[in-house]
This record gives sequence, structure tokens and C-alpha cells, in this order.
Amino acid sequence: MLYVCDYSKLLFKIIRSDRLLGIFVADILQTSDAKYLEKLLLKIAVDRDRNAFMALFEQCSAKLKAYAVRCGASHSDAEEVVQEALLNVWHKAHTFNPKSASANTWLFTIVRNKRIDFVRKNRPDLVVSNDLWPESEASVVLETAPNLEYEYESDLNAQVLRTLIKELPEEQRQIVYKVYFEGKSHSEIATDLDLPLGTIKSRLRLAMKKLDTLAKQNISWLIIIHLMNF
Amino acid sequence: MAHYHPSDELLMSFAAGQLPNALGIMTACHLQKCQQCSTKVGMYEELGAELIDSTQAISMGNNSLNNLLNRLDLEPTEAKTPEFTGDPRTPKPLRRFMPEYFDKLSWSGFSSSIKEYILPFSDEAYTAKFYKISAGKELPVHTHKGNEFTLVMEGSFSDNSGDYHSGDFILAGTQTIHQPKAAKDCDCICFAVVDAPLKMTGFFGRMLNPFL
Repeated sequence: MLYVCDYSKLLFKIIRSDRLLGIFVADILQTSDAKYLEKLLLKIAVDRDRNAFMALFEQCSAKLKAYAVRCGASHSDAEEVVQEALLNVWHKAHTFNPKSASANTWLFTIVRNKRIDFVRKNRPDLVVSNDLWPESEASVVLETAPNLEYEYESDLNAQVLRTLIKELPEEQRQIVYKVYFEGKSHSEIATDLDLPLGTIKSRLRLAMKKLDTLAKQNISWLIIIHLMNF
Repeated sequence: MAHYHPSDELLMSFAAGQLPNALGIMTACHLQKCQQCSTKVGMYEELGAELIDSTQAISMGNNSLNNLLNRLDLEPTEAKTPEFTGDPRTPKPLRRFMPEYFDKLSWSGFSSSIKEYILPFSDEAYTAKFYKISAGKELPVHTHKGNEFTLVMEGSFSDNSGDYHSGDFILAGTQTIHQPKAAKDCDCICFAVVDAPLKMTGFFGRMLNPFL
């Protein structure tokens, strides 16, 4: 390849000129976590491997519980939400498709749905997660584990987002957290933080704009990662 | 393909699982028809996963792993979603809530050209309904006390700010004064979610108001 000889110099230049990218490159070291989780899920799906399930519990139950607690659940309710979510992981692992979402993202959607449905048991008049995400029921049955070697695209997104979260100024990050975990409207956040509504809106806008920019930069980063992995 | 979309903030709240109400169902219906917004929701779900990852973990109780392992071989307790036997054109998010497809719903209404069907998942914050404007007819001029979210389900309508077709998601705020008019060729069916009741401005509107 013609451009390979120049690539390290180019990369060095980019990293020096772009602090975000520097952090991002450091984050690549963390990808092993995501890959590990993905392998566990596939072992559960294909081999019904209980050891893999135990390892998955070790790896993520405490984080999922923290999510439920931050969303307002008591400790015992949070435990139940996590148990329900992990049981669902065991039964539905065959629907996990690493090509469409990373393992972390898939787990997030499961615990999110269990949190929504937890308070809605036996209430057919209420909206439940399956109404909101009907496609998640469709299963793609895996017969063998897919080849993971070339599946770094969803990992890459995760790194981009992790970088974004780290880099957001505290005042913006705080608002994104409130949207995700507390489900607060902009005006409720304004009351909480004792700030004008306009300030909340513009901070959230700024955070979302950064996210958008990062998503667009993905393409060029993908090329760089590709070069680093060759 | 939809040309009018929910705001990014709304999509983010949807992905965060913080819209489990009429607005959530409406967003889900739009996503069924909009690849662009579905992709964004996927990205916001990834963001959710990363937020969890960067949160301080809270350990599970001592027995929880054993409890879980004991439950693995039991049949899932989760009730299976009954197979849908209605009209396959019914949007998936609405399948539990629409007894019939639009053409057979029991519409009600004051005027022959404007009919409505109240949806069962309204709550204290949002009311949800379908309304049907007969081909070529228009709604009375109205403003809104709150926000009115509209998703075009079938047909199309236009008002002073544009033409809207199936899949389009429109937000009318308190500043909007409009008079939606259905296209001449077919009835227009919209899914409307209002966070405060409509306020009719014309004389006819005032008469119609209690029924809408």
C-alpha cells in the first residue's frame, strides 16, 4: 500500500494536533473489555455455558445495578431488575448480533427495558418495552459463533463515545446524565440546578453537537484504526 | 420516506427509555418508517451503554448469583406476547392498542369531516388520539396551550408551513396557529399527542372544542 510508509508520521501529527484523538488512542487499550463481554455472550448463546454466564455476572451486574439505582430504584428493586435482565440475557443471548450492536449496548437495551417493565407488571393498559421496541423480539439464531476478527466497528463507536463523555465539560455531562438516568424534562432539570431553562437547553445542544461531530469523524478514525491494526 | 423528524433531544430520551408513554409510542411508530432516526437512536443507545460503563458500580447482594443460577433452567416467567392476528398493516407499536385497522375503527366525532379515536394509553401528562380529516377538508384554525405532536399515519395534509406525508413527525408549539387541510385524493389519518388540550380560536372552533 502506497500510503503505509507515511502513516506513523501522519498519525503522530494528528495525535499531537488533536487532544481528543490522543485520549481516544489511549482508550483503544480498553477494547479488550468489550471483546471479552462479546465472547461471553456468544458462548452463552451457542454453548449454553454457565461459566460464561457467571463471568458475565462478575463483569457487569454491579454496573447494571448502579444504573437501576441511579434511575431511582431502591436497592432491592434494582437487584430484581438486574436479575430479570440477566435471566433475559441467558434466554435471549441467541438474538445478540455483534454486527448490529456492541455487547455493552445490547446489555443496556435489555436492562433499560426491564427497568421500564418492572413497574408495569400486569398492567396491559400501560406502554411496555415491547411496544416501544417491537423489533427486539425478532431473533437471529446463531448456529456458530461469528468471526469476531473484523467486527471492530461497534467497538470503535464505543471508544468514540467514551472519549466524548470524558471530554464533555462537567456542566454538560451532568445534564446528559439527568436525561438518561432521571428522565427529567429540560424545565425540571432547570429547577433542579437552579438555572434558566435556556441555559439547560443550550448546554444539552452543545453536548449533542459534539456527539454529532464525533459521529461524523468516525469515518476518518476508522481508517486510522484500520492502519493501526494491519 | 419521512421528511419531518423528531428532535435529537426527543430521540435521546426515547433511547434512554425515558418516554414510556404516548410520546414513546409515537416516536416508535416514526422509527418504523425512518432509517435515519433509527440510526440516531442506535447511537444514543450506545451512549447510554457508555454512561453506565462510566458510572460508579454498586455490588449485588451475596446470594444474587446463586439465585440466578438456580433460575436459569426454569422456563422464562415472562408472559409471551400473543401472536398478532389483526391487519398486518397495523404499525407494530400500536398493535396492542388498536382493535381494528383505521378503516374499521369505530370513529366518533361532532362533524362528518373530522373524526377521532381516543387511544387507551393517555396519562396525566399526555393525551393520545387518532384523528381523521376527510379528503379536501380542514380542521378549524387553532393554537395550542401546550405542545401538539403529530405523526401522519395515512394520506397527507398541508398547512401554512408545509405539506406532510405518511411518517412525518411534526411538533406544533404554543406559537403555532394553523389550519391543517387534508389532500383532495384521500382521507388523512394522524396520530396526535397533546400535552395540553387544543384551544380552538374561531367561532366554529369554540363550538367544536369540547368534542375534539
